[in-house]
Amino acid sequence: MLELPWAQLIINGLALGGLYALAAFGVVLIFKTTDVITFAQGEMAMFCAFIAFTLITALNMPFLLALVLTLVLAAMLGVVIERVVIRRVSTTSLINPVIATVGLGLILVGVAGWVWGYEVRAFPMPVTGPPWRVGTVVLSQLNALILGVVIVLMVLLFVFFRYSVIGMAMRAVAQNRLAAQLMGISVNRINALGWGLGTALAAVTGILIAPLNYLDPLMMGDVMLKAFAAAVLGGFTSMPGAVVGGLLLGIMDSVVGFIVPELRTTIAFLLIVFVLVVRPSGLLGRHEIKKV
Amino acid sequence: MTQPLLEIKNLTMRFGGLVAVERLDLTVNAGEIVGLIGPNGAGKTTVFNCISRFYNPERGTIHFQGRDITRVPSHEIIRLGIARTFQNVELCRSMTVLQNLLLGQHVRMRSGVIRDGLRLSETTRSEREAIQRAMDIIELLDLMPYRHYPAAVLPFGLQKMVELGRALVSQPLLLLLDEPAAGANAHETRRLADLIRDIREQFHLSILLVEHDMTFVMGLCQRLYVLDFGRKIAEGTPEEIQNHPAVIEAYLGESAVAL
Amino acid sequence: MTTWWRWCTLSNVVTLLGLGVVCLVPTILGLFPGIPLGYVLYLVSLGLIYAIVALGLNLLFGYAGQFSLGHAGFFAIGAYTSAILTTRADLPFILALPGAGLLTAAIGFLLGLPALRLTGLYLAIATLGFGLSIPQLILWLREWTGGSMGLHKLPFASIPLGPFPAIVFRTDQEYYYLALGVLIVMTFLARNIVNSDTGRAFIAIRDSEIAARAMGVNLVRYKTTAFAVSAFYAGIAGSLYAHLLHGISPEDFTVFLSIDFVTMVVLGGLASVSGALYGAFMLTLLQNLLTRLPIVSEFKNLYIVVLGLILILTVSFFPHGIAGAVQEARQRIERRIEKMLVGL
Repeated sequence: MLELPWAQLIINGLALGGLYALAAFGVVLIFKTTDVITFAQGEMAMFCAFIAFTLITALNMPFLLALVLTLVLAAMLGVVIERVVIRRVSTTSLINPVIATVGLGLILVGVAGWVWGYEVRAFPMPVTGPPWRVGTVVLSQLNALILGVVIVLMVLLFVFFRYSVIGMAMRAVAQNRLAAQLMGISVNRINALGWGLGTALAAVTGILIAPLNYLDPLMMGDVMLKAFAAAVLGGFTSMPGAVVGGLLLGIMDSVVGFIVPELRTTIAFLLIVFVLVVRPSGLLGRHEIKKV
Repeated sequence: MTQPLLEIKNLTMRFGGLVAVERLDLTVNAGEIVGLIGPNGAGKTTVFNCISRFYNPERGTIHFQGRDITRVPSHEIIRLGIARTFQNVELCRSMTVLQNLLLGQHVRMRSGVIRDGLRLSETTRSEREAIQRAMDIIELLDLMPYRHYPAAVLPFGLQKMVELGRALVSQPLLLLLDEPAAGANAHETRRLADLIRDIREQFHLSILLVEHDMTFVMGLCQRLYVLDFGRKIAEGTPEEIQNHPAVIEAYLGESAVAL
Repeated sequence: MTTWWRWCTLSNVVTLLGLGVVCLVPTILGLFPGIPLGYVLYLVSLGLIYAIVALGLNLLFGYAGQFSLGHAGFFAIGAYTSAILTTRADLPFILALPGAGLLTAAIGFLLGLPALRLTGLYLAIATLGFGLSIPQLILWLREWTGGSMGLHKLPFASIPLGPFPAIVFRTDQEYYYLALGVLIVMTFLARNIVNSDTGRAFIAIRDSEIAARAMGVNLVRYKTTAFAVSAFYAGIAGSLYAHLLHGISPEDFTVFLSIDFVTMVVLGGLASVSGALYGAFMLTLLQNLLTRLPIVSEFKNLYIVVLGLILILTVSFFPHGIAGAVQEARQRIERRIEKMLVGL
C-alpha cells in the first residue's frame, strides 16, 4: 500500500468534510422547502460572519451572545430576502431564481466590501485550546467543534423534517405547491421560514469557518463550490446526504490533495461524476421517475 | 393463417414486489381495431409501455411483423411502424401544433446537425414536404385554427387530438391509443369513434386502444382483451365480453345496465 | 426571380439593415472625437466573442435543456488549442480557428456521454467540475501551455490569400470585422439549426424526453450533439479570444466566467437566438462600462452592487429575458397597428 499517513489524512478529510457539510446544510434546506437553489449562501455566511465580528470586536459582546444575536438577525435577513427578492421570481422558471441569487451574492459582496473593506482580518476563535491528539493523529479543537455541530444539526434537521408538522409542511410545499395550499398550508409563510432557517444556518457556517482562515468578503467562494458538490454527491434533498457527501468529498480531497496536489479538484470532480453516473441522484438521493 | 401484426407472448412486468402484468398473451392482426380494457391499475398502460420499450419486461416476448422487438431501444419503435399516444398527454408544450407534428416526422426526415446548420437544399425540400404532410393531418383533425398555437395553451381535448395527429403523421402501421376518449363528452366520443374508423380506412392502419368508456369500446373494437390485476381474464368479441361472468364481476358491474 | 421576392419579408429586411449598421459601427464611432476608438472596439469585439459562446450555450441549455456551468472550460480549450497551434505548430490562424472549434467539439461530445444520465442540478455539478478542472489541467501540462504564465505573443490573426497579400487583423478595428464576420456566420448556423429537425429534437429533449423517445429521437445522439455543437461554438470563440488578447493564461477562465455565460443566456432570453446576442452584449457592457461611470468609480464596490441589482431586476421584471421583452413589445405594437388599420 502507498506510504501515506492514512489516519491523519482521513482525520483531515473529516475536518474538511465537516466544513463542506455545514456549508451545504443551508443550501439543501432552502432547496428542500422552496425549490430554489441559492448561489448566495456563501455570501450570506460571509455577511453574517462580518456582523458577528462587528458585534464581538466593536461592541465587545461575549461570543455566545453575539452568536445568538447574529442568528436572529440572519433569520430576519432571510425572511426579508425571501419576501423582496425571491418570491417574485420563483414562480416564473427554475433558472430565474438562481440568477437572482447570483445577483444577491454580488450585492452582499459589494456591501460587505463597502462597509468593512477588503483587508483580511482574523476572526476570534470560539474555542481556544490545544488540538486533540491520539497517537500521531491531530485534530484541532475548532475542527472537532465543527464536526460536532454538523452531527447535531444533521440529527436535529432530519428529525425536524421527518417528524415535525412544520417540517412536513415544508416538504409538502417544495414537492407540490398547489396541493399544499389546498391543504391549508400558507406557502408564503413556509417559504419565509425556509429562508429564515437557511440564512441562520449560513450564519452558523460563516461564524465557524471564519476563524479557520481569514475574514474577508471573498472567503467563502471555494468552500461553497465544494459544498455544492458535496450536497449533490450525497443526494441534494437529503440532510444526511449532505453530511455523507461532505465527509466523503473531504476525505477524497484530502487524500488526492496529498498524492497529486495539482490535480486535486480535477480528480475530486471526476470521482463525483463517476458516482453520479452510477447513481444519478446522488448517494442518498431519491430518483423521481415520471409515470407515463 | 397470416402472421399477426403484433404478437405478445407471456409478457410479465414487475415493479419491485408488485406484479403489473402477468403472463399476457395478446395479438393484433392487420387491419383490426383491438381494445384493451380493465379497471384502473390493471396494467394496461404498462403493456403499452412495454411495447414502446419504456419498460423492460421481465419475461415474455413481443413480435411485430414477425420481428422480435422485446429488447429494441425505445427510439427505434416508431421507425418500425408503431406510434402511440399517452394517457397524460406528452406533447412538447412549448412547440406549436405544427411543430409537434413536424417532430412526429423525425424518422422520415434525413437530418443531421451539419446538414441542418447549413440548410442545404435537400433540407429545405424535406422540411417543406414535412410541413405539407403535417398540414394534411391538421386539416383532417380540424386543427387548422390552432396550428400555430403552442401546445401548452390548448385545452386537454385538443391536446389529445394533436397527439393523435403526431402519431398519424409518422405513417405508422400500428397505432397505440391510450385513452383517446378521456375527458370527452358523449357527442365528442361518438365523433371520435367515427374518426378512428375513418383513419383506419384511409391509412390502412391497425389499432390497439386502451379505454374506460364502454360504449366507445364496444362499438368500435372488433376484439377485446380484459385485464384485471395484470392478468388476462377474458378475450373475445364485444358480445362475448359483455356476457362474460368474470368480466362483469371485475369490471362492468353497474355499467352493464348502461349498455 | 420569385424566390428573391419571397425573401424580402420584413424581418429579413430589418436583419439586413441591422447588419449594415453594425458593419458601419467603427465609422460611426470614429465621428465622435472623445471616444477611445480602439478600446471601445476591443470591448465590442469581446462582446461579439462572448456572443458566440452564448449562442452555443443557448443551443445546449435554452433549446436542449442541458444545463452547463462549465462553459469557460470549453472556451479555454478553444483558446489554448488555437494558441498552441499557432505558436508551437506554426499553423496559420485560418486553420487554427476551425481546428480549435473541432477539437473543443470532440471534447464536448465526450462530456455529453456521462451527461446522458444526469439532469438539472446533478448535471450542473458535473459540468461545474469540468469547468474547474480545465484550468487545473492547463497548469499541470505546463510544457505545452506555459503553466501559470500562460501563452503570449500570439501571432496576429490573418487570412492568407494565395498570391495576393494576406489580410492581417492588426488593429482593434480590423479585429472587430473578423469577430463580426465569424459571429454572423455562427448566428446564421444557429438560426438554421433552431428551425430544423435537429432543433426540434433538442426542444423535444427539453420539453419531454418521453415524447422525444416515442418520436424516434435518439437521446444519446442528440444530447451528445448538443454538447458537441455548443462546445464547437465556445471553441471558435476561444480561438478568437486568444488572438484578440494576443495572450492567455489560466486565470482568464474561472468559474465566474462560466457563471457569466449562463447569466448572459438567461438575461438575454432562453431559447432565443437573438436573446443570446442581447445577453452577451448587455453583460459585457455592464461589466466594463459600469466601472467607468463617474459616480460608480468613486465607490468601487458600487459597481458590483449595481450589477447584482440589475441581475435581480432583470429576472424579476423580464422573466423571459430581453428577447422575451422585445417580443412582447413587438406583439403589442403589431396589435396596436392592427387596431389602427381596422379602425381606418
